[in-house]
Amino acid sequence: MGSLLSSEVGWSWAFWAYSLRRHPAPMAAIRSNLAWFSGPESGTLAMCSPEEAALLRLEEVFSATLSRINSFVLQPLLEAEPSDPWGRECLQLLQQLHRSSQQLWEVTEESLHSLQERLRHPDSISLESLLLLHSADRVLQVHLEYIESYTSCVAVQAFQKAVKRRSEYWQGQRKALQQFLSGMSSEGSVGTALVQALRQPLTHHVQQCVLLLLSLRDTVGESHPTRELLVHTVTIFGNLQSFMRQELDQAMATQALWHTLSSRQRDVLCTPAHRLLQDSQDIPVTVTPLRAERVLLFDDALVLLQGHSVHTFDLKLVWVEPGQDRCMFHLLTPEEEFSLCSKDPQGQVAWQWKVTQAVCQTLRRKKDFPVLGAGLEPSEPPTCRCGAYTFRAEGRFSQATYEGEWYGGRPHGKGTLKWPDGRNHVGDFCQGLEHGFGIRLVPQASEDKFDCYKCHWREGSMCGYGICEYSTSEVYKGYFQEGLRHGFGVLESTPQTPQPCRYTGHWERGQRSGYGVQDDGDRGERYIGMWQADQRHGPGVVVTQAGVCYQGTFQADKMVGPGILLCEDDSLYEGTFTRDLTFVGKGKVTFPNGFTLEGSFGSGAGRGLHTQGVLDTAALPPDPGSTRKRQLGLGVFPVESRWQGVYGPFQDFVQAGCPGDLQEALLGFHVQSSRELRKSQEYLCCERTHPEDHAGRMEDILEELLQHRAPEALQQCLRKALSNSLHPLGKLLRTLMLTFQATYSGIGANKHLQGLAQEEVKQHAQELWAAYRGLLQVALQCKGQAPEEDQDAEARDLQVHRLMLPLVLPSFYSELFTLYLLLHEREDSLYSQGIANLSLFPDTKLLEFLDVQKHLWPLKDLMLTTNQPPGDRLPHFTRYSLVRDACFLSATECLQKMIQLPRCSTTVDPREKLEVLERTYGEIEATVSRMLGQEHKLPMDDLLPLLIYVVSRAQIQHLGAEIHLIRDMMAPIHTGGLYDFLLTALESCYEHIQKEDMRLHRLPSRWNSREPW
Amino acid sequence: MMAIRELKVCLLGDTGVGKSSIVCRFVQDHFDHNISPTIGASFMTKTVPCGNELHKFLIWDTAGQERFHSLAPMYYRGSAAAVIVYDITKQDSFHTLKKWVKELKEHGPENIVMAIAGNKCDLSDIREVPLKDAKEYAESIGAVVVETSAKNAINVEELFQGISRQIPPLDPHENGNNGTIKLKPTSQAGRRCC
Repeated sequence: MGSLLSSEVGWSWAFWAYSLRRHPAPMAAIRSNLAWFSGPESGTLAMCSPEEAALLRLEEVFSATLSRINSFVLQPLLEAEPSDPWGRECLQLLQQLHRSSQQLWEVTEESLHSLQERLRHPDSISLESLLLLHSADRVLQVHLEYIESYTSCVAVQAFQKAVKRRSEYWQGQRKALQQFLSGMSSEGSVGTALVQALRQPLTHHVQQCVLLLLSLRDTVGESHPTRELLVHTVTIFGNLQSFMRQELDQAMATQALWHTLSSRQRDVLCTPAHRLLQDSQDIPVTVTPLRAERVLLFDDALVLLQGHSVHTFDLKLVWVEPGQDRCMFHLLTPEEEFSLCSKDPQGQVAWQWKVTQAVCQTLRRKKDFPVLGAGLEPSEPPTCRCGAYTFRAEGRFSQATYEGEWYGGRPHGKGTLKWPDGRNHVGDFCQGLEHGFGIRLVPQASEDKFDCYKCHWREGSMCGYGICEYSTSEVYKGYFQEGLRHGFGVLESTPQTPQPCRYTGHWERGQRSGYGVQDDGDRGERYIGMWQADQRHGPGVVVTQAGVCYQGTFQADKMVGPGILLCEDDSLYEGTFTRDLTFVGKGKVTFPNGFTLEGSFGSGAGRGLHTQGVLDTAALPPDPGSTRKRQLGLGVFPVESRWQGVYGPFQDFVQAGCPGDLQEALLGFHVQSSRELRKSQEYLCCERTHPEDHAGRMEDILEELLQHRAPEALQQCLRKALSNSLHPLGKLLRTLMLTFQATYSGIGANKHLQGLAQEEVKQHAQELWAAYRGLLQVALQCKGQAPEEDQDAEARDLQVHRLMLPLVLPSFYSELFTLYLLLHEREDSLYSQGIANLSLFPDTKLLEFLDVQKHLWPLKDLMLTTNQPPGDRLPHFTRYSLVRDACFLSATECLQKMIQLPRCSTTVDPREKLEVLERTYGEIEATVSRMLGQEHKLPMDDLLPLLIYVVSRAQIQHLGAEIHLIRDMMAPIHTGGLYDFLLTALESCYEHIQKEDMRLHRLPSRWNSREPW
Repeated sequence: MMAIRELKVCLLGDTGVGKSSIVCRFVQDHFDHNISPTIGASFMTKTVPCGNELHKFLIWDTAGQERFHSLAPMYYRGSAAAVIVYDITKQDSFHTLKKWVKELKEHGPENIVMAIAGNKCDLSDIREVPLKDAKEYAESIGAVVVETSAKNAINVEELFQGISRQIPPLDPHENGNNGTIKLKPTSQAGRRCC
């Protein structure tokens, strides 16, 4: 290096002398400046140091040199008119060099000017006005640009090529060049001469600058105001020198490299930006398991050469990992992993350091300054990076471009994957695979349509909850496993499609399988039952728009064997029939009046239904409810397993300890409105409400449960959880509501399904309680506390009925109560007639008609108590009685609260209704006791007539449906107990009011008939 | 551990024979550890020991008037036992009793224990139903029979003891075969609602 420098110095002085000869005018100026400077008599000049003057001279010479280089070298180089693309690229590089040179000249002129000003007015212009000092960074920048342009030209041998193109011209200039390029051998090519001509003045100039600035620094005192600036500038120029040296070396090495490569390899690799940093021919390394004869490290890529093939790895996506021994290290890239092995540890260190630093530099997108890896933090490249890569290897990702976050050679974090066929995936990745939330678009045959999957992914396939919108405008919302519909899900076509269809139920490996409900809009039918391989298979119930429903066994989508068919007129057919509900073959019809018709049925074109059979009219009329209230599906779809696909994911989630990262896979993702669902993938991916933001993190949810375990707080806590669709319990309830509506609303509002529905509601309450208990156990476990003891069946039943059922019943109430209304329609209508008739009776007449013993009539009492003092509740009672001829008003009003509960009008809690009933009995007894002036315990002989009186006056609509719903939802523990008794008493009143004499008897003169048994 | 077994018992019999008086006497005579809610004299409970079990009687009164007869099945469904009461001073009431027995045999719960109570034995002066008739009848149907006086607290305890003895011991394999029998540890009885 030393010899090279000295030769350059020699050269530059020759050039300097040459330029002075050619430019007498500036020479004169310098002389005059020197004269000023040397004159000891000038007081002002004493303020300028000789170093400043020397700098001025240096800048003058450099500026002149640059303009000469411009006209002698750069301008002629640009005159070439290339025909090939490569030549054009070279020309562009030369043009860039020209521009950089121009800038360098300009900044030199500016510097020169600032020096001149300073020397002219040293007293008024301070040292820091020098451009070199106050704008050192700008000066540096211009130098760096020049160096970059120059080294780019060198690296691709742009000069040699340009010279070759105009070789005759340059041969003619050879003499002229040689004339002022000292040290240039006559054998050297013109190209080499040009390379030197464009470098030597700069290196010399920088070197001299450093020297002069150093001595200037030493001249000014420690306390000089510009000392700091000077030190800075010295450092910068020092660094610039090192940088320049490194860059020139790299460019020369790169230029030299091309000669050692085959032309094919050269064509691939030779670009102006490439700089060779390391070559396995200098420090040998071998590659395993890939094969490579030679390894080249460029500043932006690692290249393996094998034969003619060139394997390039973008350094942005290269990860360096230490090897097992000291002679090797590993490299991870998106599609390849390989090791570099050197002969000795020194070689390994050199290579690993170079590769690591080159990766760092690439990721910083800026050349390290002053030299590669110089003191910049961090010295290790980050493991997480952003980058783009197009996969080449065969496989799912073949030809796809991934853009996003990487970790250790694999897509990891958020990213976008785009395939050339238009498929694209935006979402979370993990270890190179789609994992977490992701949205995939899959274009379909018609141009602007595509399937859109918004799902959770696990190790590259859909898993967990997702929403898929198909180009056919079908939508699937439900669970996936291994990319297929699996578990619970709803597939729905838009109502506009010609054959609207909706399936709500279980799936297995992409096919309907297990329990499911399907609406066939076309036929106006709903199938409720078992599926297998996308076909109706196993026991099933069909309800139709017309109100007919049947139960049978299906095989391969068709009903086989005999079934039960219930007609709208409550007649029952047991036998075989077709899908069009035509009786075919052996069967038996039971008419509502008890008549039966047994025989074989058939139908023919135009003949209608014909049968040969026996009509039995002798059979006793059956229990009126037997066909009318016949329930379908009971026993064939065990309630515990009916919606296992809904409960299952929650059970699994709890079993796994409620991991936060699976929360979204379980609950689905949430957006504020459905409009957001239609927004762009990227938007949805980033802007969807993360469950953690909204419902709180899983830990918070669990903590909340732990905090509220006392009965009162627990109820509040559960209420809140169940009403929040982002809470696991709330989400579970919502999904169950969905299944309930899918089964029992619309066509499903059929009285023969009441049995299925009511057991389902109770099961749901039980499962929700189990889900709560599961979450609680996990919460306790997280806190390191002992889990709660398992509840025995009775304690669990009590909690389910007392706590959970009242909380969840409102969610199912509308569908469920409709079924009860339908089931008890006939009784309720008789009862309505009864209370309507009884309402015509005045109080005394009614008491008499109902055979209430006279001594219990509160009317007597009324007259006695009208003079009682105010404040007692009786005057209030009396006032009503006077205006409205009503007694037992308090009891009547109390009973009415059964359907209009005071606290909350929407409450449907059966327990609260039973409490209302209990208070009603209390009111009756209180009224009687008050009237008799002593506590009176009513035996049933007295109570029942009074109760009938109160019930008839309370005029509660649909009392039968109410009573049966309350009874079905009552905790089994109450069976035989007080509430059971209260409800039975109420039911017996209800039954009694339906009786003919209650409905039809018109204001009798006196009840005296004792009907015979 | 003593197990509580709930037994639903329904009271049948003509109006005025003293159905609820017997029960009132039964329930009030002994201190009951559980504060049992009642509905007047219509629904009462009482727990008595029986062997190594506790029998908790859930006693349901019924209206004796003939026109409410058709409502009775709602009350006696699921009963472990029925107490059918007649008035020894009223032959008619004994006649009604026979009709109840017949109905229970036909429509009542299987294996229902029947107990016949001839009430008002304090008024044996004006007796119309001889004890012998009642005993013979009871024997013919396999029922418990006692003459009681609710007024003088005669044989009321014995009536229910008789029922307790007739209740078949709990078969663990056939738990709750008549719907009302439940087993629970006594320690839990206190926090139950009824």
